Amino acid sequence: MKFKAFYFTLLLLLCQNLLAQTDTIARIQEVLVTDIQLHDFSNSQSVQKLNDSVISKNAASLTSLLQYNTVIYFKENGLGMVSSPSFRGTTAQQTAVIWNGININSQLNGQTDFNTLNTRDFKTITARAGGGSVIYGSSAIGGSIHLNNDLSFGNKFDNELRSDYGSYNTLGLNYKVVASGETLSSSISISHNISDNDYQFPGYNQRNDNGQYKNTSFNAAFAYKLNANNILRLYSYLFDGNRHFSRTLAMPSRSMYDDFNTRNLLEWTGYYNRFTSCLKAAYLTESYKYYENFATDNHTFGNVKTFIGKYDATYDATDKLKINAIADYTRNNGEGSDIINKKRDIFSGSVLIKHQLSQNFGYEAGIRKEITNAYESPLLFSGGAVIGIAEWYRLKLNGSRNFRIPTFNDLYWQGSGNPNLKPESSYQAELGNVFTFGNLNLTLTGYYIRLHDMLRWIPGADGLWRPENVDRAKNYGAEALLNWEKDFGESKVTVTGTYAYTTSRRDGSTSQLIYVPKHKATAAVAYSYKRFSAYYRHLFTGTVFFTSDNQSELDPYNVSGVGADYTFKILKGLSLGAQVNNLYNQEYQAVASRPMPGRNYNVYINFKF
Amino acid sequence: MKINKLLLTALAGSLFFVSCNNDDDSNAPAGAYDDGVIVLNQGGFGVGNASVSFISNAMSLQNDIFAANNPGHILGDTGQDIGFNGDLAYIVLNASNKIEVVNRYSFAHIATIEGNLLNPRYIAFKNNKAYVTNWGDAGIPTDDYVAVIDLATNAVTSSIPVVEGPERILEYNGKLYISHYGGYNTGESVTVIDIASGSKTSIATGDGPRSMVIENNVLYILSEGLQTWGMGVDTPGKLQTVNLSNSMVTSTLNFSADAHPSNLVEEDGKLYYTIGSGIYAMNLNAASLPASPIFSHTAQGVYGIYSFEVEDDQIFVGDAGDYSSNGKVFIYNPAGQKLEEFTVGVIPAGIYFND
Repeated sequence: MKFKAFYFTLLLLLCQNLLAQTDTIARIQEVLVTDIQLHDFSNSQSVQKLNDSVISKNAASLTSLLQYNTVIYFKENGLGMVSSPSFRGTTAQQTAVIWNGININSQLNGQTDFNTLNTRDFKTITARAGGGSVIYGSSAIGGSIHLNNDLSFGNKFDNELRSDYGSYNTLGLNYKVVASGETLSSSISISHNISDNDYQFPGYNQRNDNGQYKNTSFNAAFAYKLNANNILRLYSYLFDGNRHFSRTLAMPSRSMYDDFNTRNLLEWTGYYNRFTSCLKAAYLTESYKYYENFATDNHTFGNVKTFIGKYDATYDATDKLKINAIADYTRNNGEGSDIINKKRDIFSGSVLIKHQLSQNFGYEAGIRKEITNAYESPLLFSGGAVIGIAEWYRLKLNGSRNFRIPTFNDLYWQGSGNPNLKPESSYQAELGNVFTFGNLNLTLTGYYIRLHDMLRWIPGADGLWRPENVDRAKNYGAEALLNWEKDFGESKVTVTGTYAYTTSRRDGSTSQLIYVPKHKATAAVAYSYKRFSAYYRHLFTGTVFFTSDNQSELDPYNVSGVGADYTFKILKGLSLGAQVNNLYNQEYQAVASRPMPGRNYNVYINFKF
Repeated sequence: MKINKLLLTALAGSLFFVSCNNDDDSNAPAGAYDDGVIVLNQGGFGVGNASVSFISNAMSLQNDIFAANNPGHILGDTGQDIGFNGDLAYIVLNASNKIEVVNRYSFAHIATIEGNLLNPRYIAFKNNKAYVTNWGDAGIPTDDYVAVIDLATNAVTSSIPVVEGPERILEYNGKLYISHYGGYNTGESVTVIDIASGSKTSIATGDGPRSMVIENNVLYILSEGLQTWGMGVDTPGKLQTVNLSNSMVTSTLNFSADAHPSNLVEEDGKLYYTIGSGIYAMNLNAASLPASPIFSHTAQGVYGIYSFEVEDDQIFVGDAGDYSSNGKVFIYNPAGQKLEEFTVGVIPAGIYFND
């Protein structure tokens, strides 16, 4: 206890010292990024950034975007239904989702459902594989997924209106406006999606009954230059979704689920010569309603309100040495039909350092400690290095300790929550090889994750299920990312590919954990000529087991898609596009008993003005 | 539809003749699954992998007998109960809201009963009708009912509303006995329905009555008590005996506060039940509860007893393991020696003797 207090005091003192060294030379950057740690302290890890041009080529579903472009595996309960990401054989609860630097995983179930986020609301989406708890807190074990809205100053007024229409009466609308001047910058996006989603189950005389969904989201980001050294920023995200949960092959359904989530973040950043100070306040709300029968008003619910206060100070001691200290206070206030109403306070302090010792050697390191009365929290750390071995070859090393804290459901579920849970924690290491040959980039990463105190709900002798810290597990594997592009006059060809090999086993078992494919691969070729562009993409997912003894499995699947668009020179550009998904009409299930759709179509119009 | 019904009638008719023949020569097996034990494997909720296993009297195991005999036909989600009537077996699938009807000896599919079943639980039969307990919407305490199925048409023809959480159902002398284990809330009664008059009476029980046995005109009701792990109120289990001539409770045996008994069965003049992993036995007319189990299943190093049956000198324990993997069925002798062990399907939920 004293040890903890000492750390915390140390951190606060550090902040005080840094504050004292203020200067008045403006250093406001051209592009304003709020998740600076993603840029500054993630160099020794595998980071894959998808920018808005990739985002716009893909469907509105974040699941589809990441599934086809990264090593992340998704467990999707049928099209548009609950979708859980997984990096490196971990679970969705071991995957952090970071919105503009703030962890937005649900406090209730510890994960983010990827069908409650609309891709077009974000400017960049980044997959950061490997441990990140020192920076991002709970859940960053397998990796983290970053949804960012970068802002820039300068006179600009761009509007973009997009409409998609596809199979199963699926309609998507998105309007974006970016308006900025010298002191104010703003970016606003509104999305609306609605679908009957009543696709035929390929190979069965059944439809995806009760699968309809609709959602509306609003994302806004503003930056205001107070003076040469100070900027205020405000980010807001609102998601209002209504989904019916579809039937399975064997189980009809009448259930319905409402999500209503808001996220607000206010930041004040001061740039004082070598010192950058950033004070953040965030207010997040999440709320769900579950209706067993959509026709009645009977439902269960859960709400959590989260307040986060954060002070983030960065000091560039030299051009080569950066020190970043973060103090964070989080209060969660949860209530629900099935949980005990609780307030939870978590304090944390972390220090990060990045040092470029020479042109060919840089390292980064960090520690973090949380203090809370809700559970015992381990000291987290990370360390990594980037070594330039040749002009075409860089080596990345990273090791870290990470954790996932127990959720409200784990701790406070009426009748079965376990208030004595510890966080799950991991020790992990990875070794990355980055090769660059002209236009070709190839990254090969090997990793190892040792999970302790795995938090699982298990049945007791009385048949009641309760969460316990049981089991340890080992995950290890390898990932490859390939990227090649070349211009031929007015044509451009881009080839991308990913491959992940994953082994994930509980100690004492020779079985692969459920829903972890040993092999997953993606490949895509994109071609553009003048104002025409086209792509072909492919996804392979290997066998997954859906019972823990590996006696029941789902067949591997190959799914391809193709798309093309043409941009007319009308105002800033009018694009017409068409996409065919599941081109070869593959019959497949990503989750047992939940068939995915066969061949389906989407057409869109995207107007920039 | 009509053709289907005709076919079904023809099939049912021919089966009737087969069964008559069978009666004439009761030693000849009526099909591949005569003379043995049928195990209903519930499967994972939402996973759609309910299955049926068969253990022959010669102790050979065959898994997935429904799938093997009905290719391309998915049995369903969350197998809850199997009821036997004549030569037919009625497999109640809770999450699928349906009942699959098969020949009990060949497991060939005969009909599917769908419509007007909502969270069906257990089934009983009387005079060419089946009675199935239904929870309705789990979140609505007032919509629970007993569905009445006309076995000639395999359609639900009417329903009898009952209080929340109807679970096990027994038919005896023209009356239905329904234990109200409870759905969203905990039940505390057994409903008695006179089939002929439709009149309903209620027997007060302990909290969470589930398993029942009728023997020698006496109804034995086992209430499991309320378990609220770490949440305060915890009520003890109860074993009541009811004289079926007048529906009066004639005795009540109370369990200690932390004991939550389940799986009451009767065999050869003895009652058996389980608490956690312990297996208890007592005489039908015992004046007190046994102090200690006849043996414990814990030796198998697993979580507990999910399903339980006793036949002659064999005690059957269905073990759900981690509820995701294939479960096991153990056979013990009354001294607690393990005679056999079988790996069956996921969550063995019901054990039935198919003789």
